[in-house]
Parts: sequence; C-alpha cells; structure tokens
Amino acid sequence: MSCGSRGVTAAAMTARIPAEASFEAAANVLRISGVSKRFGGIQAIQNITLDLRAGLITSLVGPNGAGKTTLFNTITGHIRPDNGTVLFEGHSLVGRPPWNIARMGIMRTFQDLRLFTHMSVEDNVLAAMEPRSWFWQSGGRQAKNTRRERAAAILNETGLGAKAGVLAGNLSYAEHKFLSLARIMATNARLWLLDEPAAGLDPPSYDLFQGLLRDQVRRGISVCIIEHNLDIITGISDRIAFLDQGRVIAEGAPDEILEDPKLIAIYFGGGPS
Amino acid sequence: MSVYLLNVGVFICIYAILALTLNVLIGYAGVFTLAHAAFFGIGAYVAAFVAMNLSSSLVVVLVASVLTAGILSVIIALPALRVRDEYFVVVSLAIQILCVTVFSEWKGFTGGLGGIVNIPLPEIFGGTIATPMQFFLLALGCLAVITLIIGLMVRGSFGRSLMAVRDNESAALALGKNVALIKTLAAALSSGLAAVAGVVYAYYLSFINVQTFTLDTSVLVMAMVIIGGTGTMCGPILGAALLTMLPNALSYVSFLPQTEIGSIQQLLYGLAMILMMIFRPGGIVGAGRSKRNRN
Repeated sequence: MSCGSRGVTAAAMTARIPAEASFEAAANVLRISGVSKRFGGIQAIQNITLDLRAGLITSLVGPNGAGKTTLFNTITGHIRPDNGTVLFEGHSLVGRPPWNIARMGIMRTFQDLRLFTHMSVEDNVLAAMEPRSWFWQSGGRQAKNTRRERAAAILNETGLGAKAGVLAGNLSYAEHKFLSLARIMATNARLWLLDEPAAGLDPPSYDLFQGLLRDQVRRGISVCIIEHNLDIITGISDRIAFLDQGRVIAEGAPDEILEDPKLIAIYFGGGPS
Repeated sequence: MSVYLLNVGVFICIYAILALTLNVLIGYAGVFTLAHAAFFGIGAYVAAFVAMNLSSSLVVVLVASVLTAGILSVIIALPALRVRDEYFVVVSLAIQILCVTVFSEWKGFTGGLGGIVNIPLPEIFGGTIATPMQFFLLALGCLAVITLIIGLMVRGSFGRSLMAVRDNESAALALGKNVALIKTLAAALSSGLAAVAGVVYAYYLSFINVQTFTLDTSVLVMAMVIIGGTGTMCGPILGAALLTMLPNALSYVSFLPQTEIGSIQQLLYGLAMILMMIFRPGGIVGAGRSKRNRN
C-alpha cells in the first residue's frame, strides 16, 4: 500500500511529549493496581501496578509471554483478573463485560486485527460508530448522514477513501492495519489500547500511522501500545513500561528504559529475567 | 392460473418466509440453528388456537402468533445463546426435539399426534380469504412484507451489528456491541417472523399436526438457505422455490418410479448440498469458492 502521509501534518508527527514533567502533570486516565491473573499453572500477570496518563502514548514492552496482551485483555474485560483493581477515570472496570467497558471509552485493536472481513470497509467503520445494539440508532436520518460523512473523512485520513466499498477481507496487509485504526478512530473512545498496530508496515505506511496517532493524541486521546520494534517504540512513545514474566520491572521515559543494558539484555533474551 | 400452480405458489411463499427468516440467524448473525421448524409450529398452533377460540381476524391471529413465537424465542435464546458454534447447534437440536415432544403430548392445545382440524378461514377487512388465489395473494403479501422488513434491517445499523458479530464476535464486543442482546433480538425477529409462515400454513391447509414441524423441516429449510445462498436476500427465496418445486418436478419424470420419489428427492437434496459445499459454498446467489477463499 502506498499510503504517503495524507491528512497528517509534519508538526503532528514530531509532537512528542518526552519530558518527565509532562508525565507528572498529565491526569491519570487508567489506574491498574495489584492486578494478577493465573491460567492453570501459568502466572500470566502478577501484581501489576501501572498508571496510564491522559494525552500520552505509553508503550508496553517486553519479550514474548511477558503478559502484555493479557494485561490488555484484563483492562478490556475479555479476562477477569484474579485480584487487583482497574480504574478508568475513577470507575472500576473489573467484572464489567467488554462491550460495557468499550462504551465507557476504552477501545482496543487486536494483534490479529479481527476485522469484519465479509463487510465493506465503510461498513467496518460505520459498525464501530454505531454504539447501540437495538434495531435502530438514535438521531434519525440526519445522524445517519453525519455518520456516513464522518466515516468518509476517517477513511480519507487513513488512506482508505478509495476502498470504501471493497470487502475488508480483500484489502492488503497494510490496509488491514489502517482499517483497524480507522475503526477505532470512528469510536468516541478516550483511551486506545493498540496491540502491535505498526508491525509489518513499510516505512511510508509507518510514517502515516505515526502521524495519525500523534494527531489523535493532540486531540486528547490517550494511547497504550504493545510493540516489539524498538525503532517504532523509540519514535512514538512518551512513556514505556517494561514487562517480564508477568511483572512490570521498569517504567519511565523511553531514553531511560531503552538505554538500560539489563533491560535490553532481557528483551533480546541474553540476560537474566 | 390453475389451482395446482397456486398451491405450489403458496408453499413456495411459506418456505421462502421460513428460509428468509432462518437466514437472519444463519446468514447474517452466524448462528446455526436446527430449531426453526419449532417456531414455524408455534406460529401454526397459536394461529389455530386463536382462530378457533378467540378471534378469526387475520390481524389478531398474526399478532398473537408473532408475539408468542418472538417471546418464546427470547426466553429460550437467553440461556441458549450463552454457548457458541457447534455447542449452540446441539442446544438448538435439543430445543427442536423438546418442542416436537410438547406438540405431540400437549393434547389439549395441539391435538397431539392427530393434530388440529377444521381451522376456520381467516377474516380481514370484513371479508374471508377462501379461494386458492386469495391464499396465494395472502402468502405472497406476507413474503413481500417480511422481505421488506429483513431487507431494511440488513441494510441498517442492526444488520451491520449482526454481521459484525458473525464475522468476529470478540471484535464486536471490543467495539461496544452487546453481542448477547444483538443475538437475542435476531432470534426474536427470526422466530417471530417464522411464525407468520405457520399462520399461513395453518389457515391454508385448515389442518396441522406435528409431522410438519419436525427436525426434517428444520433441515429442509436450512438446505434451502445454504443452496440458495446464505447472507443474501434472493438466495433463500430461490432455494425455497427450487427445493419446493423439486418433488413436483420429479413427479413429471416418467421413468422414475412414483413410489420412490421421496427417496430420490432426499438423494438429490444430499447430492446438491455436497456439490454446493465443494464448488459454491456461498450458494447459488452467494459468492463462489474463489471469492470466499480470498476473504
């Protein structure tokens, strides 16, 4: 896919918020306290405590099996933690069904994307935009037209404008990634949890992705990303939490974390865990 | 038009209603059920009961049947839809068997194995529907209205929600879709509208018994949907027309032994299903194998 950098300003691409002071000043959006989850004999996450701050991009980094996706599943209600609390804007999330948590303002993408492959690209976005599960949506014809216009704008922004009528399953890999992002943009979520959203993107597509993300963060969206590519993490993160064997073993600004030889050794499998 | 053709036309319409309504679940919600004939039967028995005991007004009978089937489907769906995929198929099979047992044993309401006879003719706008042509127009009208309802539903936000659940349930949940509610509403809509077929059937034959509402009928209607094309509007209607006409067409083939038409029909159904699954899994109207595989 040749995505270019349509609809995204250069300023947005470089508008990182690196300072520790910014982290301290930002409001707390999500507070995870002492969360643990065990699957049979495997302790997937253990006593995790982590704060996600408003308007920042926080990356979860760690080797495979560190518990990153399990933490996402716990936040979004797909998995119920054995103990601990998860508070979103002061409201407890534990025990709520995933759809309810999504409507509270937390949306996620999946590592395997999970698009609605037999629906058109436009319908994928519209489906994300229509929160009610009843036979009709509120607002009548005018609201319907507004939703269609907004869907078209989002698709243009993500470089998928020309593919609105195409079945999602027939898109290329990079286009799948952008549709996953377009779907989450169509919601009114205030916190985005993105599971490896940039994996496999070519450089132009990655530039577009990074620009889109920064643009959204400037609009007040808080983002938490799971990512394995250290270049991407360096380029995009305001904050990093390093997980290993189900625990958060370090948290801080990207420079602090990625220059710590002990953490890098763990990440590349050369050091003690 | 001959009475024979009108008779075939009425049955095509009845089965097309059943196929269209089953397609809401199979084609759009991705829920495979073997209990559709049970709701066809509930519609027919409620129609017979209301027509014989309460009111012969077609509107009253239709409302009573649709509401009863819809409400019962919600009561059944709420616990049943907690299981997914092949487990739900098993649960739906159990529901079908349970309903057939009730139809057979609740003699005071259903007439037991002997069924109910002498169901009075329907009345609407002060007149009575009595001739084959009038019944054909009634069946065609019901099919047209149901096609319109389902067509509007599919093209709207609820249709998108249904298809989202069908394509990926966990992604739909993550986008704020109340999957349990969506499936329950789909089951209520599907079953409620299937009851309309039961009403037309009961009135048209003036006789119903449990033999019409068994698992065989559920499987036949499912075959109509699959052969016609799941997830399409025209497919189930086409599938219903083809499979309804098949036994009639076979009776005109002179070299076939007339006493074996039923067995030959079953063989052809099975063969058609196997060939469709191999060469055209999307059905006659749906996407072919290559397109499906690309997705």
